[in-house]
Amino acid sequence: MRNLLNFIIKYNNLIIFLILEGIAFFLLSTGNSYHNTRVVKGTRGLTNRIELRISNARSYFQLREIGQDLAKENMMLKNEIERLGRNEDQPFSPLADSVYKQKYIWSTAEVVNNSLKRQKNFFTLNKGELQGLAVDMAVTANDAVAGVIVGCSRNFSVVMSLLNLDFRLSSRIKSNGYFGSLSWDGTDHMHAVLSEIPQHVTINIGDTVETTGYSAVFPEGIMVGTISEFEKTGSDFYRITVLLKTDFRKLHYVNVIGNLQKSEQLELEKPYQ
Amino acid sequence: MINRILKFGLIFVLLILLQVLLFNNIQFSGYVNPYVYIMIILLLPVEIPAWLLLIISFFTGLVMDLFTGTPGMHTAATVLAGFIRPYLLRVLSPRDGYESNKVPSMAVYGFQWFFIYTLVMVLVHHTALFYLEVFRLADFLRTFLRVLLSSLFSITFILLIEYIRKRK
Repeated sequence: MRNLLNFIIKYNNLIIFLILEGIAFFLLSTGNSYHNTRVVKGTRGLTNRIELRISNARSYFQLREIGQDLAKENMMLKNEIERLGRNEDQPFSPLADSVYKQKYIWSTAEVVNNSLKRQKNFFTLNKGELQGLAVDMAVTANDAVAGVIVGCSRNFSVVMSLLNLDFRLSSRIKSNGYFGSLSWDGTDHMHAVLSEIPQHVTINIGDTVETTGYSAVFPEGIMVGTISEFEKTGSDFYRITVLLKTDFRKLHYVNVIGNLQKSEQLELEKPYQ
Repeated sequence: MINRILKFGLIFVLLILLQVLLFNNIQFSGYVNPYVYIMIILLLPVEIPAWLLLIISFFTGLVMDLFTGTPGMHTAATVLAGFIRPYLLRVLSPRDGYESNKVPSMAVYGFQWFFIYTLVMVLVHHTALFYLEVFRLADFLRTFLRVLLSSLFSITFILLIEYIRKRK
């Protein structure tokens, strides 16, 4: 017993050090995983007010660009309305979104906190559960993939950015329909890597890469980016570098897309996986 | 005594604010992320008990983690830096020992001493932080480059702040 006490007195600093590091590693291992969003939610809640202020100040400097983007989007939407208006005479509408089986629900949000420099990047939206957002909804910016919601509090949501080593997206090459898995390799915020495309497929630099809709998170055909570089590796697959369409450096206004039929699809698929 | 605690509290708040409002917003191609808040640990008095140093390190890291949304990462790195500080101070001890009741500053021990002290502390802290962030050895060299570049900027900023403090 006395030996034990002597030991504790002699090494008390080492013991405190080990205990504190133990707590830190416990936080590290439980707090950062994809699914455990409770810690992220709790901790983000404390600092969100401050970040909201910073974001407000920053959005002031971007007003000109945002105005241009909105004008562009307005123009696009007007064209869309025009096109849809003409289609209405057709007896069979090609649209899947009739009132009774609407598949996707759209909403907009503003980014209040964003990071690019980490290996596992997240950003925060100014809307949460009260505004109808939920976990696993897709987030796009200017009709290009930006991330997936991983945690919601009452008025804020945390989004796992595409620039996150844990992010996986099923995407395909638009010109030939071959699909693979898109992920970020942690090097820079402009590029991601598309893998699992077999080498017998012909691809070209500049080909569009878009989502497949297989994951039930993103709708089909949302643009990811364009092929900027590809090389044949030793295996049977290409290593394709994709230039992302979304500029995460100036991410500000985003769209949130919820899949209303997601649970139905997943439930049906469950027994077969 | 109360005076010194208040002064330390002021340094703590100022450095945390500087880190959160300014340095966390520097996003230079993902390679340069200066972490200047480690200066809080650098500027504690020499004769502070090791256990108190560890606890202050722990809370400094925890506060940073709250702001960056990375539970445990900054905490682990800062506690490590706090743990090695007494040993480092012993190694770097000047010929006639440390003056009592003084913080280890550039004004008291000179530029060269403070530079070596900052260099070792920042390298230890940044190495732990960046490797914990990636949490794998696959991109060893690239992470190493990030550590070196970020350390370079952190050290520059810390020396700059310390120089301004010395002039005052």
